Amino acid sequence: MVEDRNNAIEYSDDTIRRFLLGRLSASEQPAFEQRLFSEDSLDARVRLAELDLADDYAYGRLNHTEHELFEEKFIVTADRRRKLEVSRTLRKRFAIAAPVGKSRTSFIERLRSLPHFNRPAWRYAFGVVIFILLMGTVWVAVKRESRLKEEITRRFSPRRSPTPTVPLESNHPGNSSAPEHQASPSPMPVHDQSAPTQPTVVVVALTPAVSPDSDAPSVDLPKGSQDIVRLQLALKVNEPGSYRAELLTADAQSVFSTESIKAWDSGQAQIDFDVPAPLLKTGNYQIRLSRDNAGAKENVANYYFRVR
Amino acid sequence: MSPAKTLRILKQEEFDLLLKWLAPDPGLAGLIYEKIRWRLVAILASRGCTCPEELADETIDRVARRVIEIQDSYVGEKAIYFLGVMNNVHHEYLKRPVLPRLPEPDDDGEAKERTHLCLEKCLDKLAPNSRRMIEQYYAADKRAKIDLRKRIAAELGIGISTLRLRALRIRDKLQTCIEQCLMLEARL
Repeated sequence: MVEDRNNAIEYSDDTIRRFLLGRLSASEQPAFEQRLFSEDSLDARVRLAELDLADDYAYGRLNHTEHELFEEKFIVTADRRRKLEVSRTLRKRFAIAAPVGKSRTSFIERLRSLPHFNRPAWRYAFGVVIFILLMGTVWVAVKRESRLKEEITRRFSPRRSPTPTVPLESNHPGNSSAPEHQASPSPMPVHDQSAPTQPTVVVVALTPAVSPDSDAPSVDLPKGSQDIVRLQLALKVNEPGSYRAELLTADAQSVFSTESIKAWDSGQAQIDFDVPAPLLKTGNYQIRLSRDNAGAKENVANYYFRVR
Repeated sequence: MSPAKTLRILKQEEFDLLLKWLAPDPGLAGLIYEKIRWRLVAILASRGCTCPEELADETIDRVARRVIEIQDSYVGEKAIYFLGVMNNVHHEYLKRPVLPRLPEPDDDGEAKERTHLCLEKCLDKLAPNSRRMIEQYYAADKRAKIDLRKRIAAELGIGISTLRLRALRIRDKLQTCIEQCLMLEARL
């Protein structure tokens, strides 16, 4: 608390936050309430502090005590729940990497944060997946049937082996012509002449970064299902041992990882981390690179990039 | 709170009289009413009440019923009168048996989706500078918050506390805009 020129107490942001969390002392509380009822400026500050507090909760910035008090004493009105919902939406929309206090995140909360499969978008997506699976099954069945037919034809058609004995002239009437052998081989399976399409490899060079940066490199996603995004992770030092690279989303969800990668040196030590393009979507990503140092995992560096 | 008092429903005339007592202009009276209610809720929540909205409404109902008796004689800040009545309501609340807190409604995926869509709409309504500030301000994660805010404040040539205030005012506008958008969506 700070005293202003008119000898009235100017409440600090910390005092306002303590009021919202129900932590004012018995002597502070009545004076604060009285001022809140008579001063519009304090009213306005408390309203903004509510938003700030909801944001800090959504971003996992509260300490353990504040976190508990927030749930027990703050989030008790519909208005505040709406504020928290907007804070969470802002975090989802803008935060590059906001690991909400892992120790506090319960298993139930993690389950809740999973995608909601009752959304119409998910229903359509499942419909499409089932349709593709059905089509795939039909295609495999048709292909198998034709192969089976070929196999049957190959196994049970009469063999055209040469006759071991030469037919004696006496056994045959002289004027009779020798039966002509119809050399009509069974049709060969049609060979697929179309050349296999080469996957596109998009290469992006990344340097270690301490935190997500708005200037993080961007990648234009290739569209092919076989395409690869090669992330060239620059190393400060090429140390012996194998590396592990893990690709994570902005909210620290693991997407893909590769073990036992070896570094190579072309003037600059680096790791090539190949990620199948279909695993990537538009958004921000981070890579955690660790090294296997005689059985112990050692964090080497983090890298950040954005997919457009 | 006695059951008789709890069950008594506020009459429309009593409520109209309350608004008239707060301000002759109905629009202004409505604003004062909302402000008083918000302050009551904030104080009751700070005192640890599990149902501050219910107690704030009970306080307002009691004041409304008394307006007819006090309107000619009461002198002073009218809002402060509510504070006195609220203390009585709170005192009675403390004597009630402690009820378990109602579980919060389950996360509704569709509601989240709607909030997200409304956020996009409301962001589009912001001035480019405000939008940029919000994008930067809310991009910071747990560790980078202070560094990033220092950088934004330096870029704008303002102090961190001014930046916080500006960002929160825009955030407040967004909140109002999103709530209005959600109400409109619900009506459709």
